[in-house]
Amino acid sequence: MTSTSTGGDNAVLEARTPLKTRLHHAWRPFRESSRISRGLIFSGLGIIAAFIALAFIGPLVYPYGGTQYRAETSPGEFTTFPELAPPSAEHWFGTTKDQFDVLARIIDGATLAFAVMALAVSIAMVVGVTLGLFSGYRGGRLDRIMVTAMDAVYAFPPLVLAIIVSFVLAAYLSPGVPSAAAAVGLVYIPQYFRVVRNHTLSVKEEPFVEAARSFGARNRTVLGRYVFFNVVQTVPVILTLNAADAILVLASLGFLGYGVQPPTPEWGYDISQAVNDVAAGIWWTALWPGLAIVLLVMALTLVGEGLNDVINPLLRARGKAGRKIKAMPMARRRDRSQRRSDAAEQDGEGLAVKVRDLRVGYRTASGPLWAVDGVSFDIKRGETVALVGESGCGKSSMGRAMLRLMPPGGVVHGQVDVDGTDVVTAPGSEVRKLRGEGVSLMFQEPMTRLNPLERVSDHFVEMIRTHKPKTAREQARALARDALVQVGIPPTRIDNYPHEFSGGMRQRVMLALSIVLTPRLIVADEPTTALDVIVESQILSLLERLRAEENVGILFITHNLGVVAEACDRVAVMYAGKIVEMGPVDEIFTNPKHPYTRGLVASTISLNTTELRSIGGYPPNLIDPPKGCRFAARCPHVMDHCTDTPPELTEVGPDQRAACFLYPGAGQPVPEGVVAPSGDPQVSGI
Amino acid sequence: MKAGSLGRYIAQRLLLAIPMVFILLTLLFLLLNAAPGDPVTATLGGRLPPEEIAQRKEALGLNDPLYVQYFNYMGNALTGDFGNPITDPRSVVQIVLDTAPATIELAIAAMLVAILLGITVGALSGRLRDTPFDVGGRLFGILIYAAPVFWTGLLAQLYFSVELGWLPSQQRAGGFDAPDPITGFYVLDSIITGDMAALGTVLSHLVLPAVTLGLLLGGVFIRLVRVNMLQTLRSDYVEAARARGLREHVVLFRHAFKTALIPIITIMGLQFAMLIGNAVLTEHTFTWPGLAQALVGFIGARDYAAVQGIVTFIALVIVGVSLLIDIFTGLVDPRVRY
Repeated sequence: MTSTSTGGDNAVLEARTPLKTRLHHAWRPFRESSRISRGLIFSGLGIIAAFIALAFIGPLVYPYGGTQYRAETSPGEFTTFPELAPPSAEHWFGTTKDQFDVLARIIDGATLAFAVMALAVSIAMVVGVTLGLFSGYRGGRLDRIMVTAMDAVYAFPPLVLAIIVSFVLAAYLSPGVPSAAAAVGLVYIPQYFRVVRNHTLSVKEEPFVEAARSFGARNRTVLGRYVFFNVVQTVPVILTLNAADAILVLASLGFLGYGVQPPTPEWGYDISQAVNDVAAGIWWTALWPGLAIVLLVMALTLVGEGLNDVINPLLRARGKAGRKIKAMPMARRRDRSQRRSDAAEQDGEGLAVKVRDLRVGYRTASGPLWAVDGVSFDIKRGETVALVGESGCGKSSMGRAMLRLMPPGGVVHGQVDVDGTDVVTAPGSEVRKLRGEGVSLMFQEPMTRLNPLERVSDHFVEMIRTHKPKTAREQARALARDALVQVGIPPTRIDNYPHEFSGGMRQRVMLALSIVLTPRLIVADEPTTALDVIVESQILSLLERLRAEENVGILFITHNLGVVAEACDRVAVMYAGKIVEMGPVDEIFTNPKHPYTRGLVASTISLNTTELRSIGGYPPNLIDPPKGCRFAARCPHVMDHCTDTPPELTEVGPDQRAACFLYPGAGQPVPEGVVAPSGDPQVSGI
Repeated sequence: MKAGSLGRYIAQRLLLAIPMVFILLTLLFLLLNAAPGDPVTATLGGRLPPEEIAQRKEALGLNDPLYVQYFNYMGNALTGDFGNPITDPRSVVQIVLDTAPATIELAIAAMLVAILLGITVGALSGRLRDTPFDVGGRLFGILIYAAPVFWTGLLAQLYFSVELGWLPSQQRAGGFDAPDPITGFYVLDSIITGDMAALGTVLSHLVLPAVTLGLLLGGVFIRLVRVNMLQTLRSDYVEAARARGLREHVVLFRHAFKTALIPIITIMGLQFAMLIGNAVLTEHTFTWPGLAQALVGFIGARDYAAVQGIVTFIALVIVGVSLLIDIFTGLVDPRVRY
């Protein structure tokens, strides 16, 4: 019904962590979930609590029982209840045609519902888990037969199955809670079976189980613990949804007359007894039991759905927790046209993109996180600029920001000028037109970026005709064929589906898609990371040709310095959301200035490497970044004033700038006696 | 595309269906024969002289050892013979032919309501996640799922039939109102015969049960479509489609929605089981003379033979439907065929 998935293969390792840590860990998804998911869960829990009170305290407090038709007015004296009396002070919800008090029957019905629900779900869970463990552990033919049998049971209409089971059970047991629970519970066995069996089967192949075994851990202990911790993540969702369904199946059985023995109070049976009242305009006998069912089932479903939202990583809301970050206001039309005419004048400069004070922020539960924090640079037409830095330094965020392609909760501030349009403040329709035509984005993962249901040709035709609506279909296909030929894919394969291509070919298809409209700027976000060296160099030479022949500006995002040396003109080095150094590629490799760049270059391995160097420590937390230089904590040259104010980019050589207090102009005077490092860091050290 | 791949895929699915049928029928046989005693005594015991009961048992093969009964049952079921009821002179096949059209007509009408409701509300909810529309859509989906179909049906009868008198609350069009039976599908029959008056009556009888059942299934669809939309909307190719500058509605429908539908089609097979279960309740509530109503009647009469026959038929239909859905998925999703 609802798809659930399990995430953690780390779970098994946590068996010995203290309870408090583990509780904290378990609570985390809740803190990060959206207010609405939490609202759903807690309102559902509230209603369930109310029903539990009704079911277990109600019978003690309420004066009448569910099958009581008279009350003792004085010892030995009875007055019978009226028949079909509307709600009144004595009978709050009215009475039935059998002179029963409706509210008393609702209360007793709740007790029965909880009993059947608990028993049914327990039966399903115990049987399902046992069979699942057994089947997954044994494997082989028995496993296959059991899986098919469980699938068969699962595909069978649950209500019809429950009816048949209660029909057969009636030969052995008198109708009551156990037989009803068995009939209802049988229906859910396959769900538990499936979850447990799949985990048991997969665990047998897990490398760390092998590892645990080689350390002498007992096979079954490892297996049991792993399966337990994984299943624990999915079972709460299945369990609550089954409990909800169990109430419905029980009521349906009761309505059809196969539930518990009449006149035991049961909501479904009570509704069936009220069918004729409805035609006579008597509403209270049918309304209340129905409402009870709706409320309880709804509450359980709310909890189940809410839990699924929280637990299932695929459904977890992104960018919904924490304070919202304000977006930049839209630019006014006059400003925009002004800017465009300015840009037309400046076109002689031939800028592909002009970025000023770019900031990219994400909304998180612990406050705004600025992944890119005040970045400025230009890329000329026909120039390739590399953007390098560690994972998580904001490279990819910046690439996305060039197209204002933000996930929910993400915000771009600053200015990104492409061909006279400011991507940050332009209206959505203009940005959309710019995407693909003015700026193309090449992604990191070629395998998942193409729509699996569309042919390659569809991708092209759709895109070309969106941007150039007057293009005929055949013309668009011709353009697509040209682009494919350019990237070395036979044009005959234009009508293939994405899954018919290898990873390298798909990346070339992506490249063809990003060049088919000859944009001013291509943002290539680690386009070769997933590919082998031969395909990598093919892609690089293609980009090189585009740069030289089509005068395209390229922003090449990567952490592979080897590729940078081969393919780029200039390099921007990014650290913790800021550009720390920028310069021509030769200078950056042979004479980097910023200690971070020096560390980065020193840690690359080449044929001349004699000693392996690396930078100690980790980048700072960007939710609460350090006041001064962000690299200070890891810097071998750190000085006292480094942690007071952030350094600014300053001229350190021809066309080379660095943000470091080792150089004059960064915002603080350089103390006497401090000598900045120079030369190739592989030789002279960081 | 290679022409043979789809054919091979279908053949593969057909082969996989065989063990499914085999195991399902075996389970049903075991379940229904788990009760002590024999069906004839259970149904007619005390009402007929013992000799006659013995005679009937012999005639039905109930004195044979269980494994012989099992082989007979399997053989008959696979050749389309579902046996004969004890309390009804018609064969099970005849009963199915008489009552199934009513059920199918109801099911198709309900599915139309459900798909229309589920897809529009679900897709929009997924797109407008956590907005008031989404919360409203989700709550509606949960509420409608939580309401037992017989109760919603009763309320609908109370309001639209008793209170307003707009629509009939019981039965299919009957007696003189019914069109001349050709296919058994009244809507189709009245269109074929051109009997517009009958068509009106037929439709007016169909509205309440179909909408009641359709709303319920629609509630399930809303949740399903929404969840799948949420997942495809955050997929890589949807972001890539946006990066190519496609219009938002193209991104939504061509890229996100179309792929979201594939798991939905797959799950439809399971929804079919739910449809049948709820059809039982709907038919009972609206005294709709369908197959499910017939099954409930036979269960009430403790007629094992008829129950076994009808349930076997339902099981075969279920396997057939899941086969059809597999094939349909293969047609829509090029990846599956490989």
